[in-house]
Amino acid sequence: MRLLEYEAKTILRNYSIPTPDALVITKRFTPEISLPVVLKSQVPVGGRGKAGGVVKVESPSEVTSTIDRIFTLDIKGYKPTAILAEQTIDIKRELYIAILINLETATIQLMAHTNGGVEVETQTGFKVWTVETGRASANQTGEQLAEYYELPDQTFALQDLVENLYKCFVGCDATLLEINPLVLTDDNKLLSADCKMELDDMAAFRHPEWKFEKTPVNTSFVELDNNGNVATIANGAGLAMATVDAVAAAGMVPANFLDIGGGANTDSILLAFNKIVAFPNIQVIVINIFAGITRCDEVAKAIIAARQKIKDLPPLCIRLAGTNFEEAASLLSSENISTLATLDDCITKAKELIYE
Amino acid sequence: MNSNIFTAKNVIVQGITGTHGSFHTASMRAAGTYIVGGTSPGKAGLLVDGVPVYDSIVQIQKDIRIDISVIFVPAPRAKDAIIEAITAKIPLVVCITEGIPIHDMISIKHLINKSSTVLIGPNCPGILLPGNNKIGIIPAQMGLPGSVGIVSRSGTLTYEAAAELTARGIGQKYIIGIGGDRIRGASFVDCLELFQNDPDVTSIILIGEIGGSSEHAAATYIKDCVTKPVYAYVAGHSAPIGVQLGHAGAILGGEDESAACKTKALGSAGATTSDNLPGLIRSVS
Repeated sequence: MRLLEYEAKTILRNYSIPTPDALVITKRFTPEISLPVVLKSQVPVGGRGKAGGVVKVESPSEVTSTIDRIFTLDIKGYKPTAILAEQTIDIKRELYIAILINLETATIQLMAHTNGGVEVETQTGFKVWTVETGRASANQTGEQLAEYYELPDQTFALQDLVENLYKCFVGCDATLLEINPLVLTDDNKLLSADCKMELDDMAAFRHPEWKFEKTPVNTSFVELDNNGNVATIANGAGLAMATVDAVAAAGMVPANFLDIGGGANTDSILLAFNKIVAFPNIQVIVINIFAGITRCDEVAKAIIAARQKIKDLPPLCIRLAGTNFEEAASLLSSENISTLATLDDCITKAKELIYE
Repeated sequence: MNSNIFTAKNVIVQGITGTHGSFHTASMRAAGTYIVGGTSPGKAGLLVDGVPVYDSIVQIQKDIRIDISVIFVPAPRAKDAIIEAITAKIPLVVCITEGIPIHDMISIKHLINKSSTVLIGPNCPGILLPGNNKIGIIPAQMGLPGSVGIVSRSGTLTYEAAAELTARGIGQKYIIGIGGDRIRGASFVDCLELFQNDPDVTSIILIGEIGGSSEHAAATYIKDCVTKPVYAYVAGHSAPIGVQLGHAGAILGGEDESAACKTKALGSAGATTSDNLPGLIRSVS
């Protein structure tokens, strides 16, 4: 889950990581703002500045009109529900710092660059340190960071920053925490001018305080082609991908990826059917279930319910195998619904239904 | 990894009283796995499918040597359960649980690297040695004793590959699901090494996915060290960039994480590849 800038900066402040003074403007509430101020559209994408979503306001007469304009400005498909009103800062240098997970080594790493403020993707030559818990690791990395940035008089501040970034990263179950730019102000203070933060959805169970604007993305249902002619329902991300691959390899057009998940029940599967029939050109639904934790009889009950509840349900090519297959087969056969032995058979049948 | 850790007998189930734990304890026992006990804090003295329940691993170890633990403990307590098994020096730990936070896996990897325990998973279906041992949730009837080694990141594709081979009368020595999470215990390379060094294994099936770089590491290992025939399929040829498909590991970050790029790497390393699983299985002889 990716946080908005103001949400991320609130977290930074809780971990004593310095940020510019700021207030949040919503459509219902505009706080008292002292000028000059930078108004920043709170959308979960980069490139806000170029799109006109970050505006410096100096005159009182421009405040209301600028706020109205930012609220209606569409940036890469997003319109903000909040605007961050931030104190302007006098920038001496712009640096880059991020903390992230190296998946290959299963370690937490600090990445830095002397050239901040620009798009990271265009940069090369990052300096990388592995960081660990405790003051010793932070002190050592902070000292080397000060040397790398050529800011020896900021050594203590950078040591604190490294320690607090690490505490914040681990304490918040973050998967990415990027400060770009990290600004050195004219009066020699380090401030996090912008922040990108991603949290691990899996850890939500231990963070009752997570009440963010953006709802988690649905990863189990993904549209691939709205005009596709074959819909797919499978369990497990791998089997769902393999089902899509087999449809495509046979020359048909897969409309969606759908993983009904390990603990799928009749209701959740029925919901999936409803999503699929919303696509305009579906000619066949391929259902490919290989049950381990999932139980085939639950899937069978959902198929029977879908046939009863959804009018004009496209023809089904069903393959069920694994846990409780026998119970499922007897449920389906009592409703005169036939099943096929393999994914290969489902693909062959689907082609017959569409092209013959 | 040594073959002996998979054929060892005394198995326990952590989280034995839960829905999945009790269901799969019965199914493992029906397949012939020798389950000597299970844990569920506060529920010592109960029986699950005739298997005694203990509060902790230490209690079981007072009387019984434990070779293998299978973990069904829900995600919020899975980290503690894995650490308990590592601390108890259990040689093989198979974690079925899905949804374990990535920071928990970082802590666990640090402990694993310093221990002698082999961890398979998490978020995996476990291991089936057809005719020998079922450690996890792979339906036993899918296997047929034989000489193929299967390794897969995806649980359901593990079943799929095994069942298709069985239907064709091609038996398997190992069916291993290593799990779909971004940080996991044993890798493709660990399993390839096991298969290469086991004289009973005559051919290898590797099933990868989009996301991460473990298929590239596998390709390098195949090129350098594997002399047996390898058949490989990477799932997710139609995946859009930057969209997570199902579990956390299946996200296409960059071009080198794509199914096409990984398939090419595996092919260049000498593996027989296909862009769909039925096609791959047909090519196995």
